[in-house]
Amino acid sequence: MILTLILVFVALAALAFLVRSATKRASAISSAHDLAAQIRPVDVDAFRNLIDPSEQEYLRTHLAAAQFRRVNGLRMRAAIEYVACVAQNAKVLARMGEAATRNPDPAVAEAGARLVDSAARLRIFALQARARLYVAILLPGMGLTPAGLPESYERMTGMLLLLGRLQRPPERISAAL
Amino acid sequence: MTLEQVLWYYLWIAPHLLLALVLAALVRRRLYRQFPIFLAYIGSEIVQFVVLFVMLRVRSVSAEQYATAYSIGLALSTALRFGIIYEICAHLFRNYGVLNRFGKPLFRWTAVALLLAGLGLGVYAGGRDSIRIIAVIPVLERAASILQCGLVAGMFLFSSYLGLSWRSYIFGIALGLGIFDSVELAASAIRAETGHAYARPLDLLVMATYHCCVLIWGFYLWAPERSSQYALKVLPETDAESWNQELQRLLNR
Repeated sequence: MILTLILVFVALAALAFLVRSATKRASAISSAHDLAAQIRPVDVDAFRNLIDPSEQEYLRTHLAAAQFRRVNGLRMRAAIEYVACVAQNAKVLARMGEAATRNPDPAVAEAGARLVDSAARLRIFALQARARLYVAILLPGMGLTPAGLPESYERMTGMLLLLGRLQRPPERISAAL
Repeated sequence: MTLEQVLWYYLWIAPHLLLALVLAALVRRRLYRQFPIFLAYIGSEIVQFVVLFVMLRVRSVSAEQYATAYSIGLALSTALRFGIIYEICAHLFRNYGVLNRFGKPLFRWTAVALLLAGLGLGVYAGGRDSIRIIAVIPVLERAASILQCGLVAGMFLFSSYLGLSWRSYIFGIALGLGIFDSVELAASAIRAETGHAYARPLDLLVMATYHCCVLIWGFYLWAPERSSQYALKVLPETDAESWNQELQRLLNR
């Protein structure tokens, strides 16, 4: 009986999600001209500071364990917010790219396709980064801690490069509109 | 003829007549080249309807013969629906190079996981029919429903997360299929639990949903393509190539 209820619930949830997708799609089409306004500002330096391993190490050595866990959790949650912003920006960029793919000029269309591809990559990477940051909240000794520092930091710095690059195209694109 | 019978016949006949319009739309827009499996599905649904309708009206056809023909048709339709999901997936990912690398394997493994979950849940939930073959069909039907519903919902979820855009007709085909699969999943789960107690209302529910599904297909295939009027007039200066290289480097670590 419980299994039946679970399956019925899952089916109804899927149905609701599909109906919501259909209504959302209709509104997304009508509000597409507001795309540039949907870009959310991302403070790259602040994000860099949040995931800076030396900052983390400083806090670790100067704070009690419980306090460090709490502060680290707050910092990682803030970093997750930043990543969410970047992911949102990437989604908007993808739609801008989509719009560009419909341009009669093949060069613009090709640039749009590349932009869409890059944005999709960034969305996937943001998903991985968020998972990593959540792990860092739950297990402060793993992932972003000095033990796994070089690789983690490199990855995050790589992402920062992407973030920095993400900052510029919207301005250029919106300026070009 | 009772009102319920009238409703039953309407829900059986009307969607198949409307499927002829869907078929016409596929031919008119030459979409059969892109969606051959969907075309085959529509064609097979119409043929199945004609065959089953004739069998039901001919007195010499036994109930067993009808049940056999129905089961064969059901198996064929289920298999073709999987094909349609694959077609939608291929079209959705076609324009995105990155998704060929991440999306397809993800989708493949999701399918494997859902298949195992569907079979496991189907067998675990069992059924109330004592006749083996009748007991097996709902189990397989439920497993297929779980798999198809999960794949379509997963596809919507994935594309929503990545912000992928759908052509109207692809969206319509996926939406109709997803709605039908989700209702079919709920109905098959209830049917497995209650046996034949609610068979008639559940059949009517599934048939009504199928009717809606065909209307959705018809609407999206006949309606003109709706897309954003937002279009960039000037070549955007982006460093997309650099992003690609950078991400490639990051993801290869």
